[in-house]
Amino acid sequence: MDIKTTFWFFDRIKEDNLCLLYNGNFSDDITAKFIELSEYNITNINSLTKMKKKVSFLMAECFQNIVRHGEALVNKVEVAQNEGFFLTKNWQDIYYITSGNLIENKKIKNVKSQLETVNKLDKEELKVLYRQVLENQTFSEKGGAGLGLIEMARKSGQKLQYLFQDYNKKFSLFYNQILLKSDQETVEASDSELELSESISFHKKMIDESILIIYKGDFSQDSIFPVLQIIEENLQKERKDSVSKKKVFHILVELLQNISHHCLKEDNKKEGIFMIGEYDEYFVINTGNLIRNEEIDNLKKQIEFLNSLNGKELKDYYLSKLRERNLPTNKGAGIGLVDIARRLISPINYSINKIDDKKSFLSINVIA
Amino acid sequence: MIQTLEIAETRDTPYVLLDAKKNTFQISGNSMPEDAARFFDPIFDWIEEYVKTPNESTHLVCNLDYFNSSSAKMLYQLFIELENIKEIGLKVKISWHFESEDKLIEEKGLEYQSILNIPFEMIPRKN
Repeated sequence: MDIKTTFWFFDRIKEDNLCLLYNGNFSDDITAKFIELSEYNITNINSLTKMKKKVSFLMAECFQNIVRHGEALVNKVEVAQNEGFFLTKNWQDIYYITSGNLIENKKIKNVKSQLETVNKLDKEELKVLYRQVLENQTFSEKGGAGLGLIEMARKSGQKLQYLFQDYNKKFSLFYNQILLKSDQETVEASDSELELSESISFHKKMIDESILIIYKGDFSQDSIFPVLQIIEENLQKERKDSVSKKKVFHILVELLQNISHHCLKEDNKKEGIFMIGEYDEYFVINTGNLIRNEEIDNLKKQIEFLNSLNGKELKDYYLSKLRERNLPTNKGAGIGLVDIARRLISPINYSINKIDDKKSFLSINVIA
Repeated sequence: MIQTLEIAETRDTPYVLLDAKKNTFQISGNSMPEDAARFFDPIFDWIEEYVKTPNESTHLVCNLDYFNSSSAKMLYQLFIELENIKEIGLKVKISWHFESEDKLIEEKGLEYQSILNIPFEMIPRKN
């Protein structure tokens, strides 16, 4: 993952109100945070409030599928527990929930036939099938998975999109996409297929570049908090030493709050994108947001000044900023970036993509 | 005597107890509000009032898990207020508690220690 990755994603998801991509471990805690995040997003968009319960329900169903299959894998191969891909995005009045997880090749046939069955049925028929399965438990040998699929189809009112992709001799990646539309109108199959293939290309890029999480959306603290908690949870699991854990968390908080304080607000929204890449020896954090063109020079000067200082000079500069008598305003204390620079293993990398005469897209890339 | 100020902990702001009567002064938890100035405002109001007639001995206990850079700045201002107590000849002390593995919070404490002119005690705890 490098600085170009930010704009690559931003350019493809810029129309979305919210887009969260995750490629990592699943636990109940993380599941709860995803649901919290989407509920907050929905609450803020009037036309979507009616969908809130459904979206939460379908997300939970999706996670259970990932977790259930993940558990089955643990004893058989060296695959990390409950690992999977998850995407949730909101574009206009459509909510997309996409999951991806490994599935044993010998099980594909069964899952596929369940999906085909479900997709052939109308609303009434799904209801009947649901009752049947509930009473007889015959549809699926793997506890409850069949019921999950039927519920996904019933609640969304759309055909389930899915795709199996070869992974290795024993396993395939199983992608599943659910669509929700506020007015229950049916979405064109060709459109949703396109959407699924794009999600899969995002997942591939995340695997190739070791990206753990990507978030595009509102950067006010209430929105961002569940995302921070998801990341904190991940850092706790993955890293034994609290040193890098805290450091990464700190850098992230400062960068995200910087965006919240300084980004160009459009329709009164504080919007941006960030992503975290995880490697053996270090983390990479990228952020991106819109800024006014007239702010570029000042920002460049500030970053280049920080990049010109060595560790000792950065510390002294931080302490002098800390002791300045002026108190932080609601624009922040102006020492966040200084404190970040102290903790990096390479200079602050930045780039600017001009959008039009008024605004540009600023990417920041740091390694810690 | 000045009224007690107690602020409940939230997910991004710390627990604060400033109780002159019981002589207990404490700040603990996470401090990462977006608008740190707004959160710390009532704390400054309280301290400014308190330093006019402080107790014989004032001991502030800081037990923070995490704080952002604007909170770092507010904390410094808070500590500076406490320096005023020392100047009028009364006792004042800050205890800085941190998890022994937590290099970030330890480092932040050592920095305050190096620039403040009041007793500043570093207290590691085993997790």
